[in-house]
Amino acid sequence: MKKLINTLLFIGFCQLSMAQNTNGNGLVKGTVSDAVNQGKLSGAKIKWAAGTTTSVADLNGLFQMYLPIGQQTLEISYLGYKDTTVMVQVGENEIANLNITLRSVFSQLSNVLVSGYLQGQARALNQQKNADNIVNIVSAGQIGRFPDPNAAEALQRVPGVNIERDQGEGRYVLIRGLAPQFTTINVNGEQIPSPEADVRFVALDAIPSDQLASIEVSKSLTPDMDGDAVGGTVNLVTRTAENKDGRLSGSLVGGYNNLMKQPNLQGQLQAEKRFGKRNQLGILVNANYYHNELGSDNWERAPQDNEAELRDYELVRTRLGLSSSVDYTFNSRHSIYFRSLYSKFTDREWRRRYVFIPEDDEIEKLTKDRFESQSINSYNLGAKHNFKKFYLNYEAQLANGIQNTPYDHEVGFIASIPSTLSFPNGSYPIIDAPGFTDDSQYEFDEVNYGKTLAKDRNITSKFEVGVPYKTSNASGLIKFGAKARFKKKSYTITSDVYESNGGIPSAASFTESPIKDQFLGGRFNLGNPINITSFNRFFNSNPGLFELDVEGKAIDEALEAFEAEEDVYAGFAMIKHQFKKLMLLGGVRYEKTNVSYQSRDVVIDAAGDLSAIVPVSGQSSYDFVLPQAQLRYAVNKNTNIRAAATLSYARPNFSEIIPAQEINEEDNIANVGNANLKPTQSLNLDAMVEHYFGNVGIASAGIFHKRLDDFIYRKVLFGVPYPLTGTPIIPSIDVVQAQNGNQANLTGMELAFQRKLGFLPGVFKNLSIYSNYTYTYSLATIQSRFADGSQPEATEKLRLPGQAEHVGNLALAYESKKFVVRLAANFNGNYLSEVGPTAAEDLYVNSRMQLDVNGSYAFSQTFRLFAEFLNINNQPFEVYLGNKDVVVQREYYSWWARVGLKFDLRQKNK
Amino acid sequence: MYKKLSMLLLVAALFSTGCDKENDDLELPFTSETFPQVLKFDEEGDGGIEDEDEFSCVFTLNDRKDPSGNELGGIVVPLKNDVMVFFEIKDLEGFTNLSNYVTGATAFYEIDDCTTSADQNIDLNVMLDLNTGKGSFRFPKDVEEVELVIEVNDDFFDDNVLNTNERSVTIVMTGVQANANEKVVYNNAASFKYEVQDDEAINGDWELDVSNTAQFMLFKELFGFVNEDIANLQASEVEKIEISFEYSEVKVLVELVATETITECGVTETVNKEIEIEADLEELGLYAANGDVEFVGEIEQSNGRNKEFVYKGGFVITGNLLALTLVGEYDDEETDEITLLLEK
Repeated sequence: MKKLINTLLFIGFCQLSMAQNTNGNGLVKGTVSDAVNQGKLSGAKIKWAAGTTTSVADLNGLFQMYLPIGQQTLEISYLGYKDTTVMVQVGENEIANLNITLRSVFSQLSNVLVSGYLQGQARALNQQKNADNIVNIVSAGQIGRFPDPNAAEALQRVPGVNIERDQGEGRYVLIRGLAPQFTTINVNGEQIPSPEADVRFVALDAIPSDQLASIEVSKSLTPDMDGDAVGGTVNLVTRTAENKDGRLSGSLVGGYNNLMKQPNLQGQLQAEKRFGKRNQLGILVNANYYHNELGSDNWERAPQDNEAELRDYELVRTRLGLSSSVDYTFNSRHSIYFRSLYSKFTDREWRRRYVFIPEDDEIEKLTKDRFESQSINSYNLGAKHNFKKFYLNYEAQLANGIQNTPYDHEVGFIASIPSTLSFPNGSYPIIDAPGFTDDSQYEFDEVNYGKTLAKDRNITSKFEVGVPYKTSNASGLIKFGAKARFKKKSYTITSDVYESNGGIPSAASFTESPIKDQFLGGRFNLGNPINITSFNRFFNSNPGLFELDVEGKAIDEALEAFEAEEDVYAGFAMIKHQFKKLMLLGGVRYEKTNVSYQSRDVVIDAAGDLSAIVPVSGQSSYDFVLPQAQLRYAVNKNTNIRAAATLSYARPNFSEIIPAQEINEEDNIANVGNANLKPTQSLNLDAMVEHYFGNVGIASAGIFHKRLDDFIYRKVLFGVPYPLTGTPIIPSIDVVQAQNGNQANLTGMELAFQRKLGFLPGVFKNLSIYSNYTYTYSLATIQSRFADGSQPEATEKLRLPGQAEHVGNLALAYESKKFVVRLAANFNGNYLSEVGPTAAEDLYVNSRMQLDVNGSYAFSQTFRLFAEFLNINNQPFEVYLGNKDVVVQREYYSWWARVGLKFDLRQKNK
Repeated sequence: MYKKLSMLLLVAALFSTGCDKENDDLELPFTSETFPQVLKFDEEGDGGIEDEDEFSCVFTLNDRKDPSGNELGGIVVPLKNDVMVFFEIKDLEGFTNLSNYVTGATAFYEIDDCTTSADQNIDLNVMLDLNTGKGSFRFPKDVEEVELVIEVNDDFFDDNVLNTNERSVTIVMTGVQANANEKVVYNNAASFKYEVQDDEAINGDWELDVSNTAQFMLFKELFGFVNEDIANLQASEVEKIEISFEYSEVKVLVELVATETITECGVTETVNKEIEIEADLEELGLYAANGDVEFVGEIEQSNGRNKEFVYKGGFVITGNLLALTLVGEYDDEETDEITLLLEK
């Protein structure tokens, strides 16, 4: 540690020494924008013609660079725009302000909004092209090109990204075949907490895509980025005010869900304006709302137990997003900003199901009614200062993630009805159970009334200092900074299970009419489902007929509840050196983490009774030194070769480290948390070639390799004393615990091609293609499923959970002056979802290819009509066990559609 | 423009908050804290030999979460106020006039292991109308359970013939009267059934002749299979062996010659030591001189786990002799089929 501090001090000293090289320089600041619509051109490259000094415009089109005094020439380039040269007079210790405008090469289209599309795509590609690291950027314009209502679905279009879905909608993001916990989710450059209780990763369906200015997927890290990102980092960038003229934009969308025969609704409104003579104050407010009534038809089975389920889902899902940005520029050197984001996702779900249990000649009939809300709020307050010889940026952030389930009710009835099950093909089961819809046969089993509250709060502060320098034939930037983040996470649960004291009528007393005409295409008649509201009224009127399972409540509530605190301290130093064509970036990041947890042990005695609930606590501390190196070589103006070698890590999920334990002596098994679990470390190697087309397009090819050490997996310790340390109270028990120790390797290749096919004749020249493909291969070593007391260390190899071999997108679009239509296919290959007790019981999510169609017609610069049809090929969510012949779950969503109007109103200059 | 915009945003935000259907068609149930106290019967039934002069049933409350957290399985949290409990004796089987059999009722509760409310002359205001079968009593505050004792005519069913029909009465709760501060309900579906057991059938105590060496050895072989102490017995150590068929359970009692001194409620006495096996009756022919029998019990192992044993077979009653033929199953092993001869 001392060595590291000394190293950082030495680097800081060197920086100050080298900063002397900027003596005799002046600061050039400015904006780059579109000459016609004044849209800011983020990602524009500004190069000093006489040297290697370059700058890249930020999201607001702002740039700054230190140049020698005197008359200087700047070359500005931006994909899709004509290269421009400007002259600037630089005075010693003065600031020269420039407002640079570029003209689109598609000037013939500039009078319609099609140029807006291209501008969005150009922004993304320009930022990508000029980025220091390997990154994919999806701009708001590009998000709008696809029918993706939330951030997860927008991300599925990015090379190397696949998503996990819930009820047909994207939720979790997997980058380069690594499970969601290997990806860090940021908002405006800072991590946001997960609303969910036991994980760190964020369900991105909580965040509406309309709220975002861009999404950045960094696949290689630089030292100024958090080091806990093995798969990559997703940065969600909210919008900021760009226009000095007031602007009001938005959309109003209505839609239809074919399965539920229900409408959906979406609206967005955004207002922005810069105020003051110097446009020094910018204010933007964005609000959007999404309301969807959806559902799914699902069947599942458990082949080992010869059981099957028919599940009928009905959901009302809403998504509310509010964001704002206020920034104030005091003068050319100093500015402050405040950004806020609030997202609330709600899900009211009714699940009606039958469970067929032929072995017991029983059928269960259940209905669940659950409301869940996930909210994320994030507030960033920061400032940027440009001093004569260096710049200083600092920021404080408060962010909260909350998942509140105020009620989660499920009532179950059971009937003694024989049934036979067969699965002749993977599509649908054949269930022979005469009379299974006769509700009078179903007797009350139990009702579960639960609620949960998970909270996660981050308080973060950070700063960074950048010192530009120049040598005789090169220029560069030295940067250092530090960060502290304090996280507090908690989870509380209420679980009340009531059993019968006799006298409860059959299910027939609580039924309602079916919620839809057909289930699984009319293959099954589910009869009349149980209305849980009707049952709850009976419960409240007849409490004497029910009795609470007090012991079960004590167990459930003790097992899952916890409190945790995690403090992270980080510092970094890096140098970026720009030769003529070669950019080298190197540095080191140090991160130290202190973690502490409180939870409770549950001990079940040998007779199967609860014998004790004991408070426990745990803590751990770990640190990492993470060297990072990036290389970018510009073969020519539009072609880059990139390479990166980085170290990163992934913290364990909270569920794996919290020392909550369930000791079941009756079953001779203990599930034990592992507070000493180490994070997984990863060495990441990347190489990539990318060529950008002048008419806004890209062709790229890259390879990557990751070696993961201390890979975390569930291990069984056979016949060990419990507790594992200290005086044993149980001489021999099988302990299941997440453990470190094994290695995993992951190798892959990414290809991307997107461009307008302007070289084709006639109308075909309006075609454009958007495609990418990622191949990934992985091999992880885990404890063998055949390991036992005689060979406890036996190992076996399998692919990493979450890793799909093939992931890709293909979209073909026709874009004329006013009319755009696009057919998009998204393919996710099969991946291992859960490691089972044997290879034959490994659970895989099958490959899935969804087809979407969308189109739009621009009446004017102000109004555009658009329509979207999603999942037109009715792709199911399919899960299989061991091999593809043993399908254990299929869930159908049918198609849904939306039609809407987008508008963009601009205040006229007076 | 911006005023209008602000209004628009406000309206949009208000509009959206009402559309998540969080409260649509929602009936929130009681929570475990607001769930009322529930009065219930401790058992669903009981039985007694036909010459008994009383029987009783216990009224108690549902278990709740222990506020102190000490009892993880829950405890009865006593009421904070007295309540009146109304009950009815009904569904007479084997007779028609309640007052011919039932003669009165009393009630008490335990103050401690050695003292009852009756010992302290605490009146629980028991009322019973023998014509209608309807009655009531006071369930006091701070009490976990109250035992209602029904006094019966011990001659009414006491005969010398084997009865082939059921004789029983059923008690149900019909109401609870409490003040507004006490949220208490009763289980209106629960009942307590008292069955009169015929002592000409298998019910009651049956004794094995310890001096019959062959029978003693068979007894040891049959029940020593699940009880090591019985397996190691010598006849000279045994005072008496008795098998009792009670309501829903079987007891095998070995009274030893050896004695011990015990003190209960301040009274010290010398009693014979006992070895006892208890099991739940799964099957028993009640209204015939012969039939099937099956009972199931558990043996605690050295590691604290319980392991189940099963005895099944048949019986034949001849006069005051019972021939009980059983096979025992335990730990994946079986005994031979063994017939014990017992005497009433």
